[in-house]
Amino acid sequence: MTGATRATSPGPERIEGHAKVTGTARYAFEHPVADPLYLHPLRATIARGRVTSVDTTAAERVDGVRLVLTHHNAEALVPIGDPELAVLQSDEIAFRGQLIGAVVAETQESAAHAADLVEIRYERMAHDSDFRDDADIVYTPDADASPMLSPDLEEGDVDAALADAAFTVDATYTTPTEHHNPLEPHAVIAAWDDDGLTLHDSNQGSHLVRDLIAPLFGVDKERVSVISPHVGGAFGSKGMPHGHVALTALAARHTAGRPVKYALSRTQMFELVGYRPPTRQRVRLGADREGRLVATEHDSLEQTSRFKQYAEQSASASREMYTSPNRRVTNRLAALDVPAPTWMRAPGEAGGMYALESAMDELAVSAGIDPVELRLRNEPEVAPVSGLPFSSRNLPACLREGAERFGWHERDPRPGVRREGDWLVGTGVAASSFPSLFFPGSLATIRHESGGKYRVEIGAVDIGTGSRTALTQLAAEALEVPVEAVELWLGSTEQPHASLAGGSAGTASWGSTVVEAVRAFRTEHGHDPVSGAETTAGAGKNPDAGEYAMHSYGAQFAEVRVNADTGEVRVPRMLGVFAAGRIVNPRTARSQFLGGMTMGISMALHEHSVVDERFGHVVNHDLAGYHIAGNADVGSVEVDWIDEHDPHVNPVGVKGIGEIGIVGTAAAIGNAAHHATGVRVRDLPLTPEKFLR
Amino acid sequence: MDFLRPAGWSEALEAKANHPDATPIAGGTDVMVELNFDHRRPETLLDLTRIEQLREWSRTERNGVPTVRIGAAVPYARLIEELGTTLPGLAMAARTVGSPQIRNRGTLGGNLASASPAGDGHPPLLASNAEIELESVRGSRTLPLADFFTGVKRTDMAPDELIAAVHVPEGTGPQQFSKIGTRNAMVIAVCTFAVALHPRRRGVGTGLGSAAPTPRSATEAEEFLAGALAEDGQWDDPRPLPASVTERFGELVARAAAPIDDVRGTAGYRTHALHVLARRTLSWAWDEYRSGTELSGRQRCA
Ligand SMILES: Cc1cc2nc3c(=O)[nH]c(=O)nc-3n(C[C@H](O)[C@H](O)[C@H](O)COP(=O)(O)OP(=O)(O)OC[C@H]3O[C@@H](n4cnc5c(N)ncnc54)[C@H](O)[C@@H]3O)c2cc1C
Repeated sequence: MTGATRATSPGPERIEGHAKVTGTARYAFEHPVADPLYLHPLRATIARGRVTSVDTTAAERVDGVRLVLTHHNAEALVPIGDPELAVLQSDEIAFRGQLIGAVVAETQESAAHAADLVEIRYERMAHDSDFRDDADIVYTPDADASPMLSPDLEEGDVDAALADAAFTVDATYTTPTEHHNPLEPHAVIAAWDDDGLTLHDSNQGSHLVRDLIAPLFGVDKERVSVISPHVGGAFGSKGMPHGHVALTALAARHTAGRPVKYALSRTQMFELVGYRPPTRQRVRLGADREGRLVATEHDSLEQTSRFKQYAEQSASASREMYTSPNRRVTNRLAALDVPAPTWMRAPGEAGGMYALESAMDELAVSAGIDPVELRLRNEPEVAPVSGLPFSSRNLPACLREGAERFGWHERDPRPGVRREGDWLVGTGVAASSFPSLFFPGSLATIRHESGGKYRVEIGAVDIGTGSRTALTQLAAEALEVPVEAVELWLGSTEQPHASLAGGSAGTASWGSTVVEAVRAFRTEHGHDPVSGAETTAGAGKNPDAGEYAMHSYGAQFAEVRVNADTGEVRVPRMLGVFAAGRIVNPRTARSQFLGGMTMGISMALHEHSVVDERFGHVVNHDLAGYHIAGNADVGSVEVDWIDEHDPHVNPVGVKGIGEIGIVGTAAAIGNAAHHATGVRVRDLPLTPEKFLR
Repeated sequence: MDFLRPAGWSEALEAKANHPDATPIAGGTDVMVELNFDHRRPETLLDLTRIEQLREWSRTERNGVPTVRIGAAVPYARLIEELGTTLPGLAMAARTVGSPQIRNRGTLGGNLASASPAGDGHPPLLASNAEIELESVRGSRTLPLADFFTGVKRTDMAPDELIAAVHVPEGTGPQQFSKIGTRNAMVIAVCTFAVALHPRRRGVGTGLGSAAPTPRSATEAEEFLAGALAEDGQWDDPRPLPASVTERFGELVARAAAPIDDVRGTAGYRTHALHVLARRTLSWAWDEYRSGTELSGRQRCA
């Protein structure tokens, strides 16, 4: 059984649920357009170098081919600083699989066939795609380059504190490259007409796509519309538009108004839409006799691309988690000739908390302190680095409630002593944390249609999380009308500007926007508005922003069985207890936590994109080779949450729930596997051979 | 691309003779994947799904041994449902294949013709000393399965031949199959092992999968175990197997392997795991044999 056990009302069903399961909800590629053409990309088969010649003669002769596009005949795009979008602007190749052209034809099949007939010659240059700690490729990212980056942190004297500590841990953990693989592959339909460009695009933010694509083609934003009513998952891979969107729009310049359709294949997704970069993280912890941390050091090295820098900060997980008077946190990048990584569910936290929470378990073992108790003893009063008070922090409640529910107190701490038949059995715990973000700048329009029916419009996206439902609920609540009286429109640039679906900030940002817009509507039109009364407004600045440290928390518990002879790992039981502010819709929220934990099981046991450094590509680039946990790999997963009222975080009191579920899961499973076997595996995924010594 | 749809077996053999480069397609669960990935582009597909007789199985006798003749196009789902007690090892292996959809469509003949070192159908057939029946317009021939596999994804089949059936001697004793994968279902094997005890002829059969370029038997292990059982009079009066016997059996099985490193597992892990699977399946089979013998003994007394 997989499910939540709490006996609250489950919340309304997903509004578009029926349309989705009956196949009537339209995804990007399915949008009906007149007289479409199909695009098949040309992709580099070398990892670095130049295209020296392209012979398109044979391809152009194929029946139905309308266009072969390469850097020779592609129009110039405006440089907007995103190398991924600057497709076909030169002959240079920076990674294997890079987009270097396209064939557009009457059918998908003839486009694919013709693409095969294009003869491309290269000048090869030596490439480097071997992720490692090597001065030649390692550098410190400029912390001002992105809000996701923070400079190195150095507080107190870590080395001295470690030398005096009663207990220490010094361990290196590695996490592999992982690919998102949402159910719906990336897809786009591009069409130019006199009004400009229309994109039916599977994305996490139609307004963001417009904000980048319009200047890329040097046209006004008003002349680009982006439509994305339903998205079949994204996990970050659809956060920024990737090269395929620019390529399809470029191709559509040549088709006299005929729409051009392109859906990526699963294999192309392993090269063109980002991935979670591999990391190598060293964690050193020192604690006094009572297990109180005296030193925390976390150094992370992660892969980036020479082509386009992407940086997430795994080590930053150790900045605000536990109290520690001495602390050093550093993040480094290793630049290689590989595709650009991108956000993937809990970017930074997923890998960083795997390392920190594994190290905390190692500390608990060496200090002989229960791992739940160890975390409670290191609970900070205020955010350790910023010194800010917490808007709310219920990690202890999650740990205590989870321990109680999981039966933690009967646990014998000794590793490797419980055996049932051929299976060694153990349990483990880890904490979860994710920042509660708020993206400013969204607007919502509230309109009274007639007879108490309201129309709410906001250019947000529902990537499958249930945003449409949660926002409808929040609007109805603020309007003081039943849910049925509200019709909510989202997903396209036809609606007012909204931030992207990312950072677990959707319901917080858009929900606050909708609620504030309702307030503005009531102020303007009162409680008995005329038909057609309408107000567009956004959320003001949160006065508590910057005054409080704002995070969601959670505690995850796992039971793991490892076969004593073969090392096979099974996870029969997990429990996650979270504290994430107000839960607007228990039904869809539960799916978010459950999905995050399931993805965490997958991260712990299976997911690993195997790179062949000789060619610079992922070898297991399909779902037969890239394993994601299936039904048979997931046992009982229970989800629950603490009732948490947070008056500071934002006007609707919600914290992020989309990503925290994957944070800590792999550590809980790894810790349980150690408890089962006595073998500490520090390299994900936890495959059988790693448990045999 | 031409798509040939013979309605009967002789028509199919004619078609294959006329189009020796035609790719037969049964369940399509390998062929369609290959087409999809552009690993092959056949000029001609030869659809076998209309040939009724390929989907039948029957009980026969070969050289005085009760045998099941399984048409090449019998899918896994039916091996499980209809032959679970007669050919338990094969049914166990069939249960580990893919998903319900794949087990409904995928066939034993397709598995054999693909000749993947990881084909799950092969080890139990080897352990049962199965034979394969190939046919062409020139005639029909039957050869031991071990001789059929000639290399990675290569077989002894001539361009004009098709697989008609597999002949599997009925089990006279316990059979076991075990598979290790990097997840719990829908997984290509890291390695597999099948064992069959043949009390009537006092023999032992084995089959290893994902352990060498071709599926193979561990002949030395078979001979060793059959010898040890006979020597100790274990067939007639079965007692617990000495640890030294299971251990040695495991060693000899592991020694028969010639595995490689790949993304699913290392050669070292495969060798270790085969050792484990061999001991594990043997002890299951032996327990079953002992309780079965006790049971039939008691029944005889009553
Ligand atoms: C998702 C998925 C999961 C899978 N899981 C497993 C698994 O767990 N274990 C496993 O072993 N396999 C697995 N497979 C592989 C495949 O399902 C099996 O090999 C299956 O037995 C193939 O049978 P088929 O009838 O579909 O063969 P087809 O694809 O129709 O044919 C396979 C090959 O056999 C040839 N062929 C078919 N019939 C004949 C005949 N009568 N005479 C001569 N040649 C013939 C074809 O030309 C082709 O070369 C999986 C495949 C998929 C897609």
